[in-house]
Amino acid sequence: MIRLLCALVLGLLANLACAATPDVVTIDHAEAVRSDWNATQPPAAGWVPVKLMDEWNSHWPGYSGVVWYRIRWNQADTAAPIGLLLDYTCMAAEIRLNGSVIDRDASLVEPLSRKWHVPRYFVVQAPLLKQGQNELLVRVSGLSEYAPGFGAVSMGDPATLQAGFNDAVFIRRDMQVLDFAIGIVMASLFGLFWLLRRQDTTYGWYALSGLFGGLYGSNYIANSTWPFPTTNMWQSFIAACFVAMVVAHSIFLLRYCNRRWPRIERTALSCAVLALVLVPIIPDWMGPQRNTYLLPAIVFVYAVNLAFIVYALRNRRSDYLVLAACVSVPLAMSVHDLAVYLCWMKASTFLGALLSPLTILGMGFVLAYRFANTMKRVEGFNAELTHEVHAATSQLAQTMSQQHALELAHSRAGERLQLVRDLHDGFGGTLVGTIAELKQAPDDMPKARVIGILSEMREDLRLVIDSTAREHADLAELVIPLRHRASRLLEAADIEDHWTLEGLEGVDLGTARNLDLLRLLQEALTNVFKHSRARHVEVTLECTADSLRMQVRDDGIGIAVAVLNNRTAGQAEPQKTREGGTGMTSMRTRAQRLGAVFDIVRSEHGTAINLLMPLMA
Amino acid sequence: MVEPEPIQLTSILIVEDDSAMQARLRALMREVAGPEARIVIAPDLATARASLCEQRSTLALVDVRLPDGNGIELIRHMQQESPDTQAVIVSAFAEEETILAALRAGAIGYLLKDREDIELVLSLRSLQRGGASIDPMIARRILDMVPTTMPSPLDTASVPQLSPRELEILQWVAQGLSNRDIAARASLSRLTIEGYTKNIYRKLAVRSRTAAVHEARTLGLLE
Repeated sequence: MIRLLCALVLGLLANLACAATPDVVTIDHAEAVRSDWNATQPPAAGWVPVKLMDEWNSHWPGYSGVVWYRIRWNQADTAAPIGLLLDYTCMAAEIRLNGSVIDRDASLVEPLSRKWHVPRYFVVQAPLLKQGQNELLVRVSGLSEYAPGFGAVSMGDPATLQAGFNDAVFIRRDMQVLDFAIGIVMASLFGLFWLLRRQDTTYGWYALSGLFGGLYGSNYIANSTWPFPTTNMWQSFIAACFVAMVVAHSIFLLRYCNRRWPRIERTALSCAVLALVLVPIIPDWMGPQRNTYLLPAIVFVYAVNLAFIVYALRNRRSDYLVLAACVSVPLAMSVHDLAVYLCWMKASTFLGALLSPLTILGMGFVLAYRFANTMKRVEGFNAELTHEVHAATSQLAQTMSQQHALELAHSRAGERLQLVRDLHDGFGGTLVGTIAELKQAPDDMPKARVIGILSEMREDLRLVIDSTAREHADLAELVIPLRHRASRLLEAADIEDHWTLEGLEGVDLGTARNLDLLRLLQEALTNVFKHSRARHVEVTLECTADSLRMQVRDDGIGIAVAVLNNRTAGQAEPQKTREGGTGMTSMRTRAQRLGAVFDIVRSEHGTAINLLMPLMA
Repeated sequence: MVEPEPIQLTSILIVEDDSAMQARLRALMREVAGPEARIVIAPDLATARASLCEQRSTLALVDVRLPDGNGIELIRHMQQESPDTQAVIVSAFAEEETILAALRAGAIGYLLKDREDIELVLSLRSLQRGGASIDPMIARRILDMVPTTMPSPLDTASVPQLSPRELEILQWVAQGLSNRDIAARASLSRLTIEGYTKNIYRKLAVRSRTAAVHEARTLGLLE
């Protein structure tokens, strides 16, 4: 915004005059005459003497058009080239030396080329330069609203003037280009931040302020009024950009302090939008009369910046202070430039021009700092979250392992209980039955009978253990050891056995019934093995959905016959007698307990034991 | 597959502390080996060791629980000190772990105390012929030790290397098939099936020895 102040430019122009050395002559007297826009030669009459630099409003107020400036001097030596430095021509100009054109801007009528603050430098010698009197004619096209005029002319040692010219180009143009570039880059960067994170409007307002600042700065680097058709419209656009920049900058500061003043913001924004809208509508008022709204805007931004500086000093937050330093630089610069203008301080001017990019960088730093702080908060939050998740996870793991241990203990207790139940249901029944049987038995019960009873109990126990040791106690599994043992014995007795087992997978009758069924089968096979004298035995065990069928069919002589034979022989082993007698009784008892239909069919071809047992669904 | 080599039951050692069981085993042994066989009873490990030093028995029936230690230790000892003696573990029921441990220590078979005398006689006759008997539960336990997939070279020391035929026979046993059924399915004689069983037991013991050497190497006890 400070760039608006003519003070800076004027100060710089003044500095060139300061640079005068003995080898260089600064000419400050010239003659001037007005002409129409299209004149190719100056009028012969009407020349008036002027003092350079000349701002023609001072003697021809309100004049817009062409003014010819004529400078005449005597040149003693034309052998060595001399330098010619024209401080500025506002706006467009054509330069002639001794009647020959040596420089001409692209457009000398509206829209005028914008060469309003650039210096021009020429090196000339004979034959263009003449011995004796020489004439420099400068044709300036200008508009009265935009400080038309012509700066001082210096001539002399080319090296000295070249250095002065370079300095002026660097400060007036190169620095402005740098300023413009940095401003646009920073605005784009933070603009992208905002685009990706719309809720963080601070970045958005900064970007907007930077964008309008850049457009405003283009006033210093543009060579033409493109894309605008007239100088007035260009100037009004630049002025509107300044207003927009001031508004965006103010809202940015508010957002930075986490403030929202909706009513004031709306008003300011309306002003900015209005200024921009009016540019193409009434450019001939907006341009020439720009001071009517620019001056309030300048005052406004000064007030805003000062308020922020006070706010920052009160808060003492480091990023506020840095931002306050950034906004105070323009304030200091305007004061500084005024001092330069008054006191002819050359070196300090250079510093002042440098400060503008530094300000932008400082603002960039503040925004980056803010961004970094946000990231830190996010990271801190993440760490906290991780910690809490970890804590929750370990607590959950602990709870679950406790629960698991408890379940394990329950399941072990359950297994033990099941084992006890199995023993009670299976072996307990046998034990109780045996005790009852022994109570009724005569006192002189043969030893072999007792052994038989105990053997039976042992077989029961074996079956209970087998069924308990197995994970899946279905009939298909339980019948395996029984089949293996029976097969071995039958094989030893040279009896061929054939087994048909169907549908036993997944059938579990419960410990007691399993035991009764398998012991019944075992008993039947023992009979075949011991008494039948059979050659073949067919074992069938079939399960359907609602019933279980068992058949043991042999081709032997039959149990009764064998027992009878043993008895008649009179020397039968007592054990066998018992097997034949009570073995059959035991089978019937077990079948009864199973609720099964049980019968023994004897024929001359052999014996068949049948069992049909209903299954609950 | 080598044909089964019969065991000459000329000198038998019975290591058993329970007198009733001593008498039972002696009677069974006498029935199988005949009246000429020399049968020595040792009630504990120390006596058994001394007896082995004195006279090399061809067969030893070893009880698991003995007053001065475990019968499996004696079997292991016999593998080194008396390799000509074939060891058989005598176990109570529901002791599959003990039986497997004994087989891995070098036992060529097992007898279950809770079986009928006639069943034990069948087992002893099988041993005499040079075979071995096996129950479905034991077959299943051995199958569990064999990985279902092809073993990697690293594992070869720690799992028994059973042939496909041996695995097949074990699976049939585990399903409850009789020796006759298995013989019919495998197109082999019943005697050969018993020989296969004995060979499987030997492989368990070899495996266990290889594993021991491997373990010793790992621990740096062997070069």
